[in-house]
Amino acid sequence: MRDDPRVVALVTRASGGDQDAWHELVDRYAALVYTICTRYRLSNHDIEDVGQNVWLLLVEQLGKLREPAALPGWLATTTARECLRVVTAASKTDRLATGLDDSVLFVDDAVIDEELLLAERNAALRAAFAELPPRCQQLLSMLVSDPPHSYTEINAKTGIPVGSIGPQRARCLDRLRRSGSLAALGDGDEKIGIRGGEPDA
Amino acid sequence: MRNGWDDERLLAALSEAMKARAAVPSWFIETGKNAFAWHNIDAELAQLTYDSNEDLREAAAMRSETASIRALTFTSEHLTLELEVTGNSLLGQLFPARAGVLEIHSRAGEITTTEVDEIGCFSVDPIPDSPFRLRSRTSDGTHVLTGWITI
Repeated sequence: MRDDPRVVALVTRASGGDQDAWHELVDRYAALVYTICTRYRLSNHDIEDVGQNVWLLLVEQLGKLREPAALPGWLATTTARECLRVVTAASKTDRLATGLDDSVLFVDDAVIDEELLLAERNAALRAAFAELPPRCQQLLSMLVSDPPHSYTEINAKTGIPVGSIGPQRARCLDRLRRSGSLAALGDGDEKIGIRGGEPDA
Repeated sequence: MRNGWDDERLLAALSEAMKARAAVPSWFIETGKNAFAWHNIDAELAQLTYDSNEDLREAAAMRSETASIRALTFTSEHLTLELEVTGNSLLGQLFPARAGVLEIHSRAGEITTTEVDEIGCFSVDPIPDSPFRLRSRTSDGTHVLTGWITI
């Protein structure tokens, strides 16, 4: 699951100076960096500080990443390290004064790993979604909105007959499942997509 | 090999993926996108190797007396930058001494410059009130960039 050719291509392009590729990388992984910051319960100010440092470090490392496909893991580790730096600095005084245990500051590696897996899955799902035809994107957006739209509401907004929504939903989800973006997530025990599948033309 | 998730599970996962992305504030994404301005900037990176605030925190925790001057040192392979806060300005010196120009970069991407004299001294006045980083361009072509500084 660490060798998504799309991520490798984005890193290579960004490293060559392609700003659009960089923006796409940030869009793809901002949620990973942000979620880890919230795990450390940082203030918005500290989250901005950590984010700034993580992305700057990445900009500097772009051409040096030995395995561009390992980027999500690199981001998770770097973010966790930067968060720890911030919480440690902020609480140093309190801790020395109160004798509070260091361990309250730490977030378990297993939690970071879990966030990483989830973020990679989420990023792949969003990438697969973005490859869908607009009508599928519209229908699925309505179905996953909070609260989800009812079939009657979907019918009112899109004109799709209520009786056709179910079959269309199934077809759109099948396209999503066949996306190449999800095929890259195939090495775990369970597979979301169909391996080697490419979206229909 | 039809071993993908069923429709309900796939839809629930998609919903979760969309929510995770929507939870990220737009300013956070902007910060990330803006960082690309630093791509391929011609400079060696200087690491923060000393910050008097670190001493100060420990001293405060020990309830001991302490000097109140803020001093920072950044070190790169070829150059060391020493900084000291004096009144309303930031005084600095490059080691080994050499003349050149010092750029002050703000987070918003604005750049101002100040001169570095032949014994490597410079002053930044006034001290920026938001985080900044310094890039020295010396006459011999050594370009060094510090990390973000908050005074």
